[in-house]
Amino acid sequence: MEKRTLPERPGWRDKAEELGFTFADMGGEPYWDETSAYRFTLREIEEDIEAPATELHALCREAVDRAVRDEAWLARLDIPRQHWDLIAASWARGEPELYGRMDLAYDGNGPAKLLEYNADTPTSLYESASFQWLWFEQQQAAGVLDADADQFNSIHEAIVARWTQICADGEEVHFAADPDNLEDYATVETLAWAAREAGLGAHFTALSQIGLTEEGQFADDQSRIIGTLFKLYPWEDMLRDEFAAHLQSSGTRFIEPPWKAILSNKGILPLLWQMFPGHPNLLPAFFLADVQEALTGGNPAAAVAQAFETARETLAHGHVTKPIFSREGAGVVIREQGRDVARTGDDSYSHHPMIVQGLARLPDFGGFHPVLGAWIVGENCCGLGLREDRSPITHNLSRFKPHFIEG
Amino acid sequence: MTERLPRKRSRHVALVLAGTATLALAACEDDRMDAQSFPDLESCIAASKQETLWFTEEDCRQNFAAAQKEFQETAPRYESKELCEQEHGVGNCGGDPAQTQEAQNSGGGFSFMPLLVGYMMGSMLSRGGGISSQPMVRTADGRYSTPKGDQSFASNRGAGKVPAATFQRAPSTIGKPPMSAAQVSQRGGFGASATARSGGRSSFGG
Repeated sequence: MEKRTLPERPGWRDKAEELGFTFADMGGEPYWDETSAYRFTLREIEEDIEAPATELHALCREAVDRAVRDEAWLARLDIPRQHWDLIAASWARGEPELYGRMDLAYDGNGPAKLLEYNADTPTSLYESASFQWLWFEQQQAAGVLDADADQFNSIHEAIVARWTQICADGEEVHFAADPDNLEDYATVETLAWAAREAGLGAHFTALSQIGLTEEGQFADDQSRIIGTLFKLYPWEDMLRDEFAAHLQSSGTRFIEPPWKAILSNKGILPLLWQMFPGHPNLLPAFFLADVQEALTGGNPAAAVAQAFETARETLAHGHVTKPIFSREGAGVVIREQGRDVARTGDDSYSHHPMIVQGLARLPDFGGFHPVLGAWIVGENCCGLGLREDRSPITHNLSRFKPHFIEG
Repeated sequence: MTERLPRKRSRHVALVLAGTATLALAACEDDRMDAQSFPDLESCIAASKQETLWFTEEDCRQNFAAAQKEFQETAPRYESKELCEQEHGVGNCGGDPAQTQEAQNSGGGFSFMPLLVGYMMGSMLSRGGGISSQPMVRTADGRYSTPKGDQSFASNRGAGKVPAATFQRAPSTIGKPPMSAAQVSQRGGFGASATARSGGRSSFGG
């Protein structure tokens, strides 16, 4: 793994504009940044990222299987009791997942570490699947990249194939998001084009325009019944909205399925560590409530005492606290050797239960810290997108960086 | 020099973000794609020899085979020849080849379907997609349509622009129609509560 300075494609900003990728610059700062790119070897991609991410997803499915049967875990994950059935039933029925993005810390040496799994509402899909792909093809055609270089990015084809697999021929799928948020909308449109390519009907409706019919079904902005709903909106919010009472009775099929409420919850990290302690791609993780005193010399909760002792030194060296519900780095605090070294200003999620996770320090490439986004489609890892930031906490203005495989 | 197999990236992607309008229920002008119709495979292959076109002989063969298969799966089926001809015109219907053997075996239930009178190929290449196809059947008023029946054309040979929805596959099974209109009693029940309670929130994703 290295970061290589490369010439930008002439006129790429015009091309981005023409394609509708209008947020390539945000807040006066570049968001898409191709002044340099990350290069990986095929071995690094296949052995250190692809295979571990696919395995981690399988472990996550085992963790879901555990949590849906265990009321204590559902309570810890702060899932409203009245929806436990919805979630357990969606898992028992085997409702298939569509996509997710694992955020990994990796520097080219040693195992990649799972920072968190955005298994419910991951964005930056267009940048990863499409614009990054175009960058690669054009740079290769221009001779900037070698003829035998490649990119880990079969995301689009994997999504088309997944839609074909999980929906009936010609199934009508509604896509709901906030149309005023360009990033969210771009991710939804990317999924919708793939759905159309898979032979499905894809229709957009603003999330806020979804209605409830007299018969208790959901309907779109034109009052047409929603049979299948892809929503770029977190399950933890769906379960707390006014329409939450109608989720089950509506008969709507949701994508991602309700059981993703367990995976997109950072409480999954302590559960994974409990089930698979010492796994090379996992960091030690606990609920803060169980170990808060122990972190300052006191005793941990009895149930995690042994696991905590094993991890005590690692956590003392450095750890991260974050709310179980959080997006884009909100509420994250990094502590090293007993003092805060970084935190995000946004504490809008910090009233939620917190977890503690061992610190995996992000590598430094020219003053920037990359986080790898390993895309999961269905149950397999099929592509990569990188974000980097000067801060060690990646947030919504962090730059997107293209990558390639060489060697 | 050895070529790396299999490659790790897609052969094509969808490149254009066209905006909410193209994903709304009614297809708009921007959503139109290049299409060409052929009465049979031979006429497609003949056309593919002209180098300026967007399809090859192999595309003709693949898409003709796909259209034939899709015709079997999605063409409308009728319980009588009269009913079929009412929808598709006199002389434009035949027996259902997929059911002939079964019908003979069971001694009952013979169905009729319109004849396959050509196919249409459409190109998503300009937005980074591939080539799609649909079988064509006759309509009662002497035109040509896909099995779904919502788009009809004057001829089964010729090129032009058609809405991308033309290439949506017709449903092969019919349950409760998810797109039927309904009375809506209440709106706005999603998106109001959010687990981030203070401050503005830029995105539902992350």
